[in-house]
Amino acid sequence: MEPATASHKPAAPTAPAVATVLLVDDEPVSRLSMAARLKRMGLRVLEAKDGKEGLAILRRERPDLTILDWVMPEMDGPTVCEQVRQDPDILSSQIILMTSHDQPEQIAEGLARGADDFLSKAASKQEVLARVQSGLRAASLVRSIESTRDELRAKQEELESELKSAGAYIQSLLPVAGDVGPGIHMAWTYRPSLALGGDLFNVSHWDDHSIYFYMLDASGHGVSPALRAASFATFLRAENLRHCITDNDPAAMLREANRRYPLTEDGSYFTVWIGSYDRTTHQVRYATAGHGGALIQRKDGSIEWLTSVQLPLGFEMNTPYDTTTIQIEDGDRMVLMSDGIYEAPAVTGELWGTTRLTATLTAHRATPIAAALPTLMAEAERWHGSPVFPDDAALLGLEFRI
Amino acid sequence: MSQEPVFNLTEALTRVESDEDLFQTLAELFIEQAPLDMAATQAALDAGDAKALARAAHRMKGAILQFAAPRLFEFTKELESLGNAGTMDRAAATCAAVDQELQKLIEALRAYVSTRPAA
Repeated sequence: MEPATASHKPAAPTAPAVATVLLVDDEPVSRLSMAARLKRMGLRVLEAKDGKEGLAILRRERPDLTILDWVMPEMDGPTVCEQVRQDPDILSSQIILMTSHDQPEQIAEGLARGADDFLSKAASKQEVLARVQSGLRAASLVRSIESTRDELRAKQEELESELKSAGAYIQSLLPVAGDVGPGIHMAWTYRPSLALGGDLFNVSHWDDHSIYFYMLDASGHGVSPALRAASFATFLRAENLRHCITDNDPAAMLREANRRYPLTEDGSYFTVWIGSYDRTTHQVRYATAGHGGALIQRKDGSIEWLTSVQLPLGFEMNTPYDTTTIQIEDGDRMVLMSDGIYEAPAVTGELWGTTRLTATLTAHRATPIAAALPTLMAEAERWHGSPVFPDDAALLGLEFRI
Repeated sequence: MSQEPVFNLTEALTRVESDEDLFQTLAELFIEQAPLDMAATQAALDAGDAKALARAAHRMKGAILQFAAPRLFEFTKELESLGNAGTMDRAAATCAAVDQELQKLIEALRAYVSTRPAA
């Protein structure tokens, strides 16, 4: 096959090397004279015989520079300037206003109405050249700023659309609310602080009589924590965990994760709370790595925080994460939450706090869990005074029937 | 009685960087255009329309500037000022002076063009 020669290269841009100047003057003798001067400077010259025609050519041809006579029938120079400055497509055009009388008050009026510079009709060749060159220089700066701006906008749109699709992917990792097994009802509500959240949670089946569930928080904000959280969530899938550990012991999961997710060079890490529930023993076993956000709300309304002080993942190779076991009774609820909920600040800076959080839970003990969680979120939002929290805010609730 | 020439050819040619072909074109265009502008100026004066008079005089002035014709330029400038100021009583005399000088310039330009090879 013939090697591709010039065909694979993009065609050279057709931008004219010669700058274009639009000259608008109703008087043919002076217009011809000025046009000849401009052509002698090597410029391409477009001519218009009044303001209206000039404006139409300006819109169509987008000249690098426009030289406008002040006094013209139909539409005078300053009015053309005003029209140009009101039209977003052409408002950055460079305009020189021509005057036969350069009284200062006229210059002030011309500037106020949108001219960039002035040129006396009696100006010397040197002055015309200098003003035209200065106008062309400004025009080329404006063009390069505009093209940079357009590139940035396009990049920004591309990034936003990528963020959106990444956000949709993260959302797809979240569980489907409802009954996750006989006697286990699950609900959740999630409000990431950015398009992408670094908090993730899930409920999975370990075997036919037990489930496990977790709430994790990747440190930091933005794309990188979200990706790390997604990777960790993948690690925590049952089909993967079963290759690593033999029992659904949350502490064993944490010890395994602790080896696989060391502190990164830039200091990123995870905190996580993991619990497992066995339907035959009605026991929840849980372990935590630096994550304090889980509680059990008994049927009688009493609330107990399920925490144990342990390092986040990745800090020390041999952190001895251990398991705590609690007995579940009929009608008990568990709520796993991001610290973003109880650390939602009021305008004064005061945090919502766990006391107000548990008081809200107590007040809504009789509300079904699928409605109680959004209520909790709404209360935190009311405290914060805005629907966007500074940190991801997630709530995962489980209600047990025995 | 000797009088300054109606226009200074050397200075006028300097303005067009000694491009005599261009200057000839400008002169021919002016010979054609100027009587029309003069008629418009006269009509404005006759109608007593000061604004139209100023506008017409202004337009002529821009063209005259190309030919280094100081007397005509000054008369035209004055006529424009009179129009702008609305002092029409003095405008008639100035307008007559403009017309007279303009005829001289047109004659002089005709004479110049006739010395040039046909375009």
